[in-house]
Amino acid sequence: MNVERDAEAVYDPAALAEDVDLDLERRKEILHAEAVAAGGTLWQALGLPWNAPTSAVKSAYLEAAKVFHPDRYAGKRLGTYRARLERIFRRATEARDVLGEETRRAAYARTTAPATEFTKMEARKLDDERRSAERRARLARQNPLVARAARVGELVGRGKAALERGDFLAAANDLQLAQSIDPSNPELSALAAEAKRRGAAQRAADQFDKAMAAEAMGSFSAAAAGYRAALDADPRHVRAAAAGARMALKLGDLSTAREMAQAGVRAGPGLGVAHEALGMVLEAQGDKKEARRALEKALELDPKLELAKERLKKLRWGILG
Amino acid sequence: MSDQEPAIGIDLGTTNSVVATVRDGVPRVIPNRAGQALTPSIVAVAKNGKKLVGALAKRQAITNAENTVFAAKRLIGRRWGSKEVEDARRVLPYPLVAGPEGNDVRVQLAGHTYAIPEISAMVLSELKADAEAWFGRPISRAVITVPAYFNDGQRHATKDAGRIAGLEVLRIINEPTSAALAYGFGKQVERKVVVFDLGGGTFDISILDIGKSVYDVVAVGGDTYLGGEDFDRRIIDWLTFGFAKENGGVDLREDKMALQRLKDSAERAKIELSGTSTAAIHLPFLVGGGEGKPALHLDRQIGREKLEELTRDLVDRCIAVTERTLKDAGVRPAQVGEVILVGGMTRMPRVQKAVKDFFAREPCRGVHPEEVVALGAAIQAHALTAPQSGAEVLLLDVTPQNLGIMVVGGYFQTIIPRNTTVPTSETHLFTTVQDNQTAVRIAVLQGASERAVDNELLGEFVLGGIRPARRGEVEIEVTFEISADGIVGVSARDVVTGQQQSITVTATSGLTEEEMKRILDERVDELLEKKQSTQEYELRKDRVGPVLAEIEGLRPAVQEALERTRFGKDAVQKAEGVLARVRQAMDAHDSAALAELEEALERTLQLFKGLAEAGRGQGPGRGDG
Repeated sequence: MNVERDAEAVYDPAALAEDVDLDLERRKEILHAEAVAAGGTLWQALGLPWNAPTSAVKSAYLEAAKVFHPDRYAGKRLGTYRARLERIFRRATEARDVLGEETRRAAYARTTAPATEFTKMEARKLDDERRSAERRARLARQNPLVARAARVGELVGRGKAALERGDFLAAANDLQLAQSIDPSNPELSALAAEAKRRGAAQRAADQFDKAMAAEAMGSFSAAAAGYRAALDADPRHVRAAAAGARMALKLGDLSTAREMAQAGVRAGPGLGVAHEALGMVLEAQGDKKEARRALEKALELDPKLELAKERLKKLRWGILG
Repeated sequence: MSDQEPAIGIDLGTTNSVVATVRDGVPRVIPNRAGQALTPSIVAVAKNGKKLVGALAKRQAITNAENTVFAAKRLIGRRWGSKEVEDARRVLPYPLVAGPEGNDVRVQLAGHTYAIPEISAMVLSELKADAEAWFGRPISRAVITVPAYFNDGQRHATKDAGRIAGLEVLRIINEPTSAALAYGFGKQVERKVVVFDLGGGTFDISILDIGKSVYDVVAVGGDTYLGGEDFDRRIIDWLTFGFAKENGGVDLREDKMALQRLKDSAERAKIELSGTSTAAIHLPFLVGGGEGKPALHLDRQIGREKLEELTRDLVDRCIAVTERTLKDAGVRPAQVGEVILVGGMTRMPRVQKAVKDFFAREPCRGVHPEEVVALGAAIQAHALTAPQSGAEVLLLDVTPQNLGIMVVGGYFQTIIPRNTTVPTSETHLFTTVQDNQTAVRIAVLQGASERAVDNELLGEFVLGGIRPARRGEVEIEVTFEISADGIVGVSARDVVTGQQQSITVTATSGLTEEEMKRILDERVDELLEKKQSTQEYELRKDRVGPVLAEIEGLRPAVQEALERTRFGKDAVQKAEGVLARVRQAMDAHDSAALAELEEALERTLQLFKGLAEAGRGQGPGRGDG
């Protein structure tokens, strides 16, 4: 069991020597569990394998409680072990709360998937793609009559693949070529137009990336210009709008900030970042109530927005002097 | 079994208290020294200055109302000026005053002022003594139950009462939880259990997940203003309204005495209607007519259906609270494996039917509603004193109310929400609200309201030494910790400087540490005194007992003698008075009174002997004839 060997190195051997009413095995068990509680996943806190079903959680929790709840050692001298037991138990309770509920469990499983699981999934995907490409090529080689159609098919396929891959400029190229061979195909022209639009979006994305890099390096005005260019290339680029608003705010250009934040909310009313940016602009304007509402909306849409959380906390909870 | 000192469980009730223990692995109720399971939670100071507890106090309550304290549980840990205390002052016959700091409630009893925990301690001492008599050895450790809605202050006050009574309070646990422990004891229970506790003043609902002898409290809910008394009030209102209509607008509620009689008979009728379909309410001379008019009587019948109609919304409210609590816990009624009914009001057929309809199952009737709470407490006491001894139950309790601090604007920010399994801890970040603020005051609160002032203040402290900065720039990390035994610790830390301050939330029972010390010292004196008086009493009893027995032995002869002569009748009547007083003094273990009576008793013996002699002296002729 290498888990145990690993864990043994984690705890302080001095802790094992503490004079308490617990036998050596129990002390070892507690120290080990404490190390797992501090550094392991919630699965490990309950001694469960990754992605164990909710049905296994309750039983594992009860078992953990029976060993690690401080009441189990009532009346004994526990020294620092009391706090250790409480820490282990708290982590187990947290694990029960998260893993015992289907949606929270699934979300947690995704973020904690072990590397081996990832590789397996990726390998499976690549395999599928290679096989379908071979099939298409075989079909095209068979007959000159179908060669033209195959050529169009190939171009469309490549275009679609490029679309899927996110290489929209290449996709637009292929699809426009295919359209010139087969101009009467309405599906094809729609696809080509789509690729063109997505190409613009990609330009916007490039601009956005550059602007982000500029922001990271501290040249805020370059970043602001970049975000603006991204938004011009793709008016539906919500994150560019949000980031642009933030930049403008930083540069003190409140009216641009407001304009971009509003554009962001218009383009993506269902996206938390848009509302987050708007909330910050409103806060800068001094409109606290509206700011709070926007930030709350942002968090409602996306509870992971740290910035919004922090701003909201500041808006809401200051401590009385 | 080890010869470890046994621990007890105490259900410290509003009207009655019960003590129980686990002996040889079986939970059982300990009868008091009068042989009863229930000890009235009543304390009195008799006319002769003696303290009386339990049935003795109850017996003299009517004639000594202002020196008899009952329902102390409604006052324990309450703040002076709170709604509950104001309500109590209106209806309780004994005088209440504010404590020295003006924040707690005291009772005046025969010229002495007592804190409420002291009153409860007298009941606890009595139960402790009962347990000691039963075991024949000293008892010092106990688990005491409280209603689930009790806040931290009330729990602390109850704990203080235990300390005053000379008990180490191992744990304060919730009554519904305790009932569940007793329900599941010794069975292989693997299911979700709902405890539906409708008592005199409050409604508690608890959901537990029981499995592998672990009692995991999932959620607690309830309504602190919904109980049997509300049902009574509906009957009273109905009666007074009808009475006013019949008698030209006479309002019975204006007459305190009449209202008290109404209250008693309304409660009696309600209880009766659980078993019968109609109940009669007959109150002659309820109010004087005044100005020469004749007195008015009340005479009415109430049917079960009428009662159900009058109280339908109250039952509906119970079900609504139940529904909400289940929803909060994410439990569907169909997932519930058992429903346990606790509290006197659950005897009402309509309540039972509502519960049955809601859960689509027959509620459990296998538990004794009066004793079940104490039995559960005994089980927990056993688990906390003899762990790993076979009876391995583990109780995972939750926080009954939101815990948090006051933030800018007078708002309450929850840090540990209710129904969180303890032990637990939680950390939140806060910021300063003023430029160059160097100190923050952390007010620790408990309650359900968004406004800080509406919640219970548990304690406060100041975190100083904050580095001067613009408002909002200093981050303060506030950590709440609740240990397994429910003790709340709060600490605050300046994230940057590491400046730290913390408190353990304790003194909110109203009693200061000095007061507590004084009370405990007094108790030692009292115990010594009591011990002395007990010894003295034993001595007296040994002397008086045989005399009494001798007198009783002479009684037939005396009776016979009296039948023949008129002589001595007055003397015997007087002597009977002496005998009655002696018996009363024996009942009350009152050695002083016995000492006073000893001489009179001796004279009575002589009198009886003389009369019996005289009877026998005349007797033989008749006997021979």
